This record gives sequence, C-alpha cells and structure tokens, in this order.
Amino acid sequence: MRIRSVAALFVLCVPALSSGQAAKNPPPRPALFVDATAKSGITFVHQSGASAEKRMVETFGSGVAWIDYDNDGFPDLYFVNGAPGTAHALYRNNRDGTFTDVTRQAGVSGEGAGANAYKTGVAVGDYDNNGYLDLYVTAFGPNVLYRNNGDGTFRDVTSAAGVAGGPSEWSTSTGFLDFDRDGDLDLYVVNYLDYRLNDSPYCGLRKPGYRMYCLPTLFDGTADRLFRNNGDGTFADVSRQSGIANPAGKGLGISICDFDQDGDPDIYIANDMVRNFLYRNNGNGTFEDVAYGAGVGFDLNGKPQAGMGTDCADYNGDGRPDIFVTNFSEELNTLYENQGGGIFEDVSTKAGLGSGYVPLGFGTKLFDFDNDGDLDLHVTNGHVIDNIKLYQPTLTYAQKDLLYENVGGRFRDVSLQSGPALQRERIGRGLAVADFDNDGHLDVVITSVGQRPTLLRNQGVQGGNWILIRARGRKSNAFGLGATVKVETSEGRQVQEVNNVASYLSSNDIRLHFGLGKAKIIGRIDVLWPSGVRQVLNGVAVNQILLIEEP
Amino acid sequence: MTHTCVCIAVVLAGTGAFGPASLPVAAQSGAGQASIEERLTRVRADLFSRAEHLTEDIQELKAILAVDPRSAEAHLLLGIGYRTLGTAELMGEAVAELRQALELNPDFVPARFYLARMYLDLGRATRAREELEAGLVRVPNNPQFLALLGEAERQLKKPGRSVELIRQALRADESFAEARYYLGLALFDLGRRDEAIRELEQVVQSGPRMADAYLNLGIAYLEAGRFDKALQTLSQGTGIDPSRPDVRIQLARAYRSKGLLGKADEQLTRAMPRVTASLASPFAQHQQLEFDFYLEQGFLRLQQGRLDAAGKALRKALAIDPSDERTKPLQDRLRARQAGDRR
Repeated sequence: MRIRSVAALFVLCVPALSSGQAAKNPPPRPALFVDATAKSGITFVHQSGASAEKRMVETFGSGVAWIDYDNDGFPDLYFVNGAPGTAHALYRNNRDGTFTDVTRQAGVSGEGAGANAYKTGVAVGDYDNNGYLDLYVTAFGPNVLYRNNGDGTFRDVTSAAGVAGGPSEWSTSTGFLDFDRDGDLDLYVVNYLDYRLNDSPYCGLRKPGYRMYCLPTLFDGTADRLFRNNGDGTFADVSRQSGIANPAGKGLGISICDFDQDGDPDIYIANDMVRNFLYRNNGNGTFEDVAYGAGVGFDLNGKPQAGMGTDCADYNGDGRPDIFVTNFSEELNTLYENQGGGIFEDVSTKAGLGSGYVPLGFGTKLFDFDNDGDLDLHVTNGHVIDNIKLYQPTLTYAQKDLLYENVGGRFRDVSLQSGPALQRERIGRGLAVADFDNDGHLDVVITSVGQRPTLLRNQGVQGGNWILIRARGRKSNAFGLGATVKVETSEGRQVQEVNNVASYLSSNDIRLHFGLGKAKIIGRIDVLWPSGVRQVLNGVAVNQILLIEEP
Repeated sequence: MTHTCVCIAVVLAGTGAFGPASLPVAAQSGAGQASIEERLTRVRADLFSRAEHLTEDIQELKAILAVDPRSAEAHLLLGIGYRTLGTAELMGEAVAELRQALELNPDFVPARFYLARMYLDLGRATRAREELEAGLVRVPNNPQFLALLGEAERQLKKPGRSVELIRQALRADESFAEARYYLGLALFDLGRRDEAIRELEQVVQSGPRMADAYLNLGIAYLEAGRFDKALQTLSQGTGIDPSRPDVRIQLARAYRSKGLLGKADEQLTRAMPRVTASLASPFAQHQQLEFDFYLEQGFLRLQQGRLDAAGKALRKALAIDPSDERTKPLQDRLRARQAGDRR
C-alpha cells in the first residue's frame, strides 16, 4: 500500500467491532494485546554476552526501532544485538502480520565496523532528506550510521559523516532532531558511564554466586554528544559549544519535546542515580539545563532517581507536553506534569502510578492504546542484577510489564486485565510503538536481555476511531520531525509532536497516531512545521492514514 | 558574566573532625548577581558551621541553581552538602555536582579537592590521585592537597610515597591533625608500628570527634600487645560513635585478648552486622564488617572452648571470603584444639 497525499484522502477499513452479545453474563473482556511474535516469523534472539566478569554493559540490553525503510507504508522492524560479533536484524513487514529477515541484503547486520562493540540503542531519521529513513546504532564503542540508499540497502557512512563518537564511549539512547531548525536532522547521543571493560571491579559479596553487576555510583558519568548536521552528509560535534556536554550525566534515556512551546525542540535526559537534565533550547544553537528551576531533576523528595527510559507527551490534554521517566525498583516511576511557565510538578502518586514502585522500569511509551482520545502508558520492566534474588528475595530479574489506561487524566493499572501476553515475565529493556498492521490500533514491540523480543498486537477490542498522520516536510526535514499537530474533533482537542524519540534505546514509528473515540470527523488539523509554516486542514475523515505535506 | 573572587574554606566536610582548616585557594565562581552571591555566602557559612541546617542549605542551593544553573560555586556547595549528608544514595549526586562545577570552571580548585575526597570515600583512589595532582599544579605545596594525595597513595599501596607527601604537608603546617592521622596510617602500613602509634596518639590527644582515629590507634595497640591502652582507646571510640560495629568488633577483640570473654561477647552482640536491604549500600564495607565479625566470633568461641560454634563462625567467614589469610591462624588453632580433644 502506498500512502497518498492529502489531496486524495482515503479510508482504511476497520474491523467491525463485535456488537450485540449483550448477554446477562458478559464474556470476559478479550485481551487487549496478544503475543504475535510466533506468528510474525521474527526469530531474532538478543545476545547479551553475559559473562562471569559481570560487565555492566551486558545487562543493559539493546533497543529496537520501527522503521519503514522501504517506504511501503508499513513499519518494518530493526533489532539491535548486544554482544560483540553478534548480528542485528532487519525484518521487512510483509503486510500480513508476518515479517521477513532482510538483514543481509540490506547490509545492516553490524558485523563490519564496530563489530567488537557491545551494541545498545538505535535512532531512525532521514538525515540526508532523500526521503528514506536512515539508521544510527549506538554502542559501547564506536557508533554506526547507516544511510538508506533507497533501494532496500544501506551503507555505513559513519566515518564520512563523523558521528562515531568516542571509541570507548558507552552510548545508550539516541535520537534525530532538528535542533537548529535549518531543515536537516541533527543527532543527539546519550552517554552513560566512563567504564572500562578490562578494569571491571568486583561488586557484591564475595560469596560464590554473589558477584553482581556494579552500581553506577562506582563510575563517573560521561558527557553526551550533539552532532549538528552540516547539510552535506557530514556532522559537526557541537556538544561543548551547545552546552550539553555535562560530564555529570549518566544518561540512559532521552525524550524530545517543545516543553516551553517556543517552537524549537527541548531535550530531556534520564540519568541513572544522578539528577535528570532538561535542556531548554535557547533558539541560538545553545541549550541551558533548566532542570533545577523546572523541578524535573529529582523526585518529589528532592532525591535523584535511577532514570532509565523516558517519554514526553500531553497526558492530561492541557496542550502541554509532560514528562514520564522510568526508574529503579523501589522508586516510583515519575510523571512530571507541565504546569506551563517552565514549571513541572511531580504527580506520580496523584496520577495513580504507585504500582510502578517495585519493578525496575526501562522502555516506555505514552500512547493511546484504546483509541479513546487520551494517552495511556506502557512500561516494560526487568532488573539489572541477574542474581538480585540473592540480595532481595522479593525481587526478580525477569519482571512483568505494566500497562496503564488513562481515565480522565489518572492512570489505572490494567496489566492484569489486558491478556496473558502482559502476564509473562521478561527482562524488559527496549520498547517501541507502531501500528504495524495499519489497522488503526497501536502495537508494541519489546526487547529482552538475552531473549527473543515480544511483538504485542493490539486487537483493538475497545474500538474507537483514529487517524495516522505521516508528515512530509519540504522546507522542514523530510519526515517533519518536530512538527506540532493539533487535532480537533467533537470529543476535544489533542496535541502531539512528530517525534519518534522516546523510551529506552529505541525508536518509535515516525507517524503520529491519534485515537479519536466516537468522533466521526476531524473538524480541524493544525500543523506547525519546524520551518515555522502553519497549515490547517478542515473536515478530515477519520480512520485513515493521512499524508500531510508541508506547503 | 562577572567573575567574583571567592575564598572557599576547605573544611573537613562530612567528618567535622578536626575543625576548620586553612584556606587553600582563592577561586572564581560563576555567580553573576549580587543577590545570588549573598545567598551563596550565607549558605557557605552555614554549611561549614551548622550541619543541622543541611537540608535547608541544600534546598537553597537548588533554588540558586534554578536561577543560575551555571554557578560553579553553587554546584560545589551542593556537592559538599550531599557528601555531608552522608547517605549512600546521594554519593553519586555529590560527585556529579562537583564534576559539573569543574566542567563550568576547570580552575575551580576547591571542587577538585572535594571531588578527590569523594573518590576516596568511594574507594576510587586512582581518580582521587588524578584530581589531587591536577590541583597541585594550580596550588603547589598546598598542605591539604599534599596530605590527601598522601592518603590516596597509601590506599594505592604506596605507603612510602604516602609518608613522603604527608611529611611535606606537615612541614607546611605542623598542626594539621588530619595529615598526622594519615601519616599514622601510612606508617602502620609500612610496618613502623611504634611510630604510627606516636602519630596517632598525637591526633587523639587533640580530641577529634572522629571514631576512625580511635579505631586505628586501638588496632595499633592491639597489634603491639598493649591491651589496656587498646581497651581504653576503643572504648573512647564507641563513646564517640556508639553505632560503629567495626569499633565494637575491635573492642571485643581487646576484651578477648585480656581474657574478659563475657565482655567480649557483649560487644560482639552489639556489633552484630545488620544485613542491609538497600542496594545503594556499600557492599564492600558491609562484607568486610561481616567477615571481621565472624572471624572475631570464631576466635572468641575457640577461646570459650566452644569448638563447634568456632567452626561455624569460621565457615561463615570463609564463605564471605575464602582467600582472606586472616582466617588461617583460626583454622590452625581450631584444628590443633580439635586434634587435642580427640587425643
């Protein structure tokens, strides 16, 4: 299926909702998500390189990306593999619920340069504006940029582009963004610890079997990197001059939103056991860390948490992007509500997120899984210490996910009611969201340390109308990253930014999804492109994939 | 942005042991506004003198950083504040603040000093040495930097070099009690026990409220067979900090050495290491403590003639660290006693 332009809107058929059956004893609610991994043909198994030396990098896992690399309108899947010498996997979406491994022909196995690194995160973006999405893979070691040639193959252009980063840096999450709004995508790379594989200290008790992965307090943080796109296939490292090179950071997660709604993207970094950063974009090529003033560096008690994954989006429908961060076990996952004026409030408890206290959260996404017009929440969990049970018998390495339904701005934990797929324990790390079967319901893929990933297909049991929006920039970057889209229906107004950067080590579908509830038509879609161009569409049909092109 | 010249008192934050020390360096801060400077001055004075206001000081520093996120001095003071609070969960944040202070102002020598201290707290002597050596380029012959570098060298198993550096510090400031304490430790490591005792006695005579000085002098007395002095010194140590199980374990050892087995048992009971549930806790220290406890318990039970209990304690110590040579005398004596009983 090819996506057509806004001039030729079309409607996809949505499976009819089961009607009737209003029996006296209604049947149990069908599972919200089903495990579609086996049927999908995905056979990838993550390899962590777990060793007796308990090198920390082994337990932090690797990410996953949704990338429509062949522009056929169906998101494909790219899995990053961890241990040195292992191969990544690119799966082409066969448009029938199955996938085909095309890694070799695409040339993205990662077995060439950088093969000896531990690979971690992945970003997706069209850095050269050729209309095809490229891949950037981070590592403990040199990172790799794969340029999409547009013919189903990629080329490693890292060296020419100058984005390898430090040869022994431990890079984690990453994302493309147009921070200077010059129409091409820049690249932010989150870095974690100053860690040396050959100098891995012994941590934990010296009893046999008790050696454990070290805590980050034993190591220094390392500064992140920001690469500015020069527009000619090369990048300049502007980390220092832009103000984001803070060596205090122990970054694992990144989310990007225009928090102050001044038209340029700001950056939030989730740090592990040190405070988080909020880099306000000054609009002149520099950033200022305003976390102290904004109240997003610490928890409610003013203590730093062990931040892992993060997302930002407007969870309460007030038009302002909020911030969600997953944290260590025995810490609450944190929801910072954007109050406007550069101030956030920690509303984690108030918003009903208490069940996140025990598990250790990693990948996460705010998305509307029931198409009712507000953003729900998924968190995948898994401890970092494989023998944690020896130290804390109540905790386990593998843990269950958490699924929260947004009910009027408060989250309700629906993990137990959402089907057996949500009851399985995994060592969850990466998580990414896309409507891979284009049925209007957002699906989820999750990576696990040393295990097969899980593809959760959303059965759409709760119905609700929807729209998927693919932005195509002209003056702005080709996929419209950073564009703000407001959708107005009879059910209310929603605001989202075109932004695939969130979660942990992972990249989401670049298309925007809006659940529309019972709305039959979208009264108005208002797009503010990164270029500053405004665009308004009126009377747009629901239940379609809409391509909006920048005028 | 104007740079204001600010003198930072390098006090022994976190211990309060030896009172204020000299000012090592004049440093430049990033605070640009007078009002912020006044607030920093207030916090600085408070932080170095009234530990009970720590929470408020930390809040104030965060408020200052909300206004001026690039104030190197605010980051420094916040790092010191976190360190003074002393909770394991804030150690990483303390390091982070100090590193950010240095990132904002690489010439900010006090930040380097406190960062080195933090690294030593965390058992990272190599990184401490790097910071101290970098600092000494800016403030050559500064006694505080020299003494701390000496301690870093000692922890890196170079006691000879340690003694040399600390003596250099003491030449610059003979009354520098902290340096003398480090000198005692280094001399002890060199096997010069009597000299070590003399240095540590000088330190203790100055009356520091620091249990470590009493603990180490007590251990030195025990090694020298001066059990009465050991008992007296270690008892003073438990008086200063009754919550320190390591001091109680050594006190039990002193009582046992004097043949006062009941009192030794009492101290060991009070020293019983608690298994901590927090993963942020320093496992290495906890492990050492647990090992020392079971080792001492093994010797005590042996001396009490409770061979089975001694064997059990020994097995517990060996399970924690089978390679620790200190279990060997206990093993030998236990074996000999068991053989004797069989005969």
